[in-house]
Amino acid sequence: MVTVDKLDELQIEPEVPELDLSWLNLDTEWGVSAEPGRKGLTLQQINKTLYGDIPATSDDSSARPRGAAAPEGATPRMTPWVLGDATETFSDSAGLLYDEAVSRQWSSATDIPWDTLDELPEDIERAMVQLCTSLTEVEFIAGDVPGKWLPRIAADHYESGLFLMSQVMDEARHTDVFRKRALANGGGLLLQGGGGGLRQILEAEDFTQMSSMLHILGEGFVQSLFRLGELIAHNEAEKRIFRLAAQDESRHVAYGVTHLKYTLEHEPEKAEEVHWTLDMFEDTLVDPDQANPGLAGALVYLLGDGDVDEGWRLFWHVRRKQVLEYLHRLDVAGLGGRLETGRLHPALAGALDEN
Amino acid sequence: MPDNDVIAAAKERLEQSGLPSDWLDIPVHWGVKAKEQATPENGGLRFEYLNVDVYGEVPEYWDNNTEIPRGAVPDTRTEQMGYSIFNKSEVWSDLCAGLYEDAIADRWNSSSDVPWDSLEPIGADLERAVCQIATLMSEYGWTKAQTTGRWLQEISYGYIEVKLFLGTVVFDGARLYEVWRKRALANGGGLGRGGRNWKFLPLTQSYTFSEFVVASIMHDSMLLALLRHGEQLAQTEAERKIYELCQQDIERHLAYFVDHMRYLMLKEPVRREEIHRYMNKAEWYLAKDGDDTLYSALAVIMGDGREGAEEAMADVAELRREQIETYLGYLRQCHLADREDRLNEELRKWAGMVELEEEEKIPV
Ligand SMILES: [Fe+2]
Ligand SMILES: [Fe+2]
Repeated sequence: MVTVDKLDELQIEPEVPELDLSWLNLDTEWGVSAEPGRKGLTLQQINKTLYGDIPATSDDSSARPRGAAAPEGATPRMTPWVLGDATETFSDSAGLLYDEAVSRQWSSATDIPWDTLDELPEDIERAMVQLCTSLTEVEFIAGDVPGKWLPRIAADHYESGLFLMSQVMDEARHTDVFRKRALANGGGLLLQGGGGGLRQILEAEDFTQMSSMLHILGEGFVQSLFRLGELIAHNEAEKRIFRLAAQDESRHVAYGVTHLKYTLEHEPEKAEEVHWTLDMFEDTLVDPDQANPGLAGALVYLLGDGDVDEGWRLFWHVRRKQVLEYLHRLDVAGLGGRLETGRLHPALAGALDEN
Repeated sequence: MPDNDVIAAAKERLEQSGLPSDWLDIPVHWGVKAKEQATPENGGLRFEYLNVDVYGEVPEYWDNNTEIPRGAVPDTRTEQMGYSIFNKSEVWSDLCAGLYEDAIADRWNSSSDVPWDSLEPIGADLERAVCQIATLMSEYGWTKAQTTGRWLQEISYGYIEVKLFLGTVVFDGARLYEVWRKRALANGGGLGRGGRNWKFLPLTQSYTFSEFVVASIMHDSMLLALLRHGEQLAQTEAERKIYELCQQDIERHLAYFVDHMRYLMLKEPVRREEIHRYMNKAEWYLAKDGDDTLYSALAVIMGDGREGAEEAMADVAELRREQIETYLGYLRQCHLADREDRLNEELRKWAGMVELEEEEKIPV
């Protein structure tokens, strides 16, 4: 143990590092400048030079930033493998979506008007905390998934990496805000059950398959629901929660759609694989046996404000919107035709029937 | 108090409609009202305020491998989700919930919170040196986010506060990456040479979370000691701000890592030797990495160009000594003061500590 008295005796001159100035003469692209624009200095603005060129493939598993010179001497493999093909993870919008994520962060502690949570009738409060119990669960998995994939993203495709890092943050906030709502107003957490499908997203070993389940179908449905949050909310606090969370989900969905678009443009043969994944995931989503007993009941109850018939009517209104928006997103991504070819799950296709 | 009539009527309506109603049978911990603490003076509804009643009971051992929220009633049909961390001692710190909220309150935006307009030509050598440092900073940000993110799928909901906080660490890592990339590409320069990064293997290869934590303590405290020299190193107001903002983030990360390690040492003193092994490894890689572009780039900045670099090396050596001292200082806070006697031989030289054999000859 070194005591203070001993310290002086133990102190000698620190060793001087070796001076190596070879990095002063590299052949990386030089003379690059960027000017801040209306939103400051965004990724878009620094991506205008060669540093913005996205390699179609990368075999670099290290953390070396795209465009930097390779180190001299031996280097270790930092991760067993990376998804080096841009078609595996890339999206042309990832950088933009990251920029947007950074500028639109919000705080569940201070940006929600918690003081507007008035005492609710007991049945309504219970239904709301049941819904929030299920939602905090769903959001929990939504954060684990991008975390799992981070070590597999090539640093050369850093925009996708940054986007997923922002998603981890967003989902932490969603997990947190729904837990907060459950515990804020006299209710509590009720019955577990995020519903079927969470495990499929987590266990997928193909990024594009994972993304089509999580970003397009799963978060797509969640986003459509949150955008109709006015129908569920009973006060300004709840409205704000749904509105802010929907804004975040829009980015996650946009990433999924633009990623799938990028993949299918470069690798159209992947379409059938994604269809197959959606066949499976749609099936899980509507499987009554995998449904969360709390989620559906609470949602219908809240939509109808206690009037279950009215709740059902609005539920189908929500479901119809979810399915329409889902099909539209697939169209944009270049995977249209699920309805026309009869591939869309009948229970979802049925939701389009006005009656 | 539960109003049984209202609930009975609600159940009946749901059942008539073919909807499940058993969620209404669940005994509610009625009356938990975190909102009551959500005043502006209290920082709004912070996560700490949720930890009341059963919801605040963080078990020593969490026995559920699904995503069930702590305090909810299990649906036993739910599949297991593959989590592997169920021991509080492996991840816990009482500070997590507060640090999570602090991270959000302190959030910043590299696009708009850095005065990029203040960038101006600083001469070729200095620009090269700043860009070289920026390249290495980006690498660490990337590594930090990737390696932290990997642990999310391991930690169960029982320790939700830890996971939420780690989410902010991932996001801070992203910003550490991109703010320095922006700096490199904004002022007439470009990126420099990547590091060899042997030193990051203890982060990427960690098998246990606590192993990841001690390696993070080493890297973060070394980085923090450097960031604290921001005033001296920054060439423009923009860089000064970058140093300041990054420092604030890294200090928050260290607050958690250190408090967790302190908790582990108190709860499981038997793991002390094991933890020393992880430090042996982390320090060995750091010493062996031998990638000196960081210190040479610092010398060019401190020497105001390549001509002054040789002379500035003494100041750089002093900075590197501070890095080791900072590292040992944080370890002392974790009840790991004995590391001083076991520090890697190479790092002892960096710190200007006499070799262990010599030390033994000094009469106490
Ligand atoms: Fe979410
Ligand atoms: Fe999301």
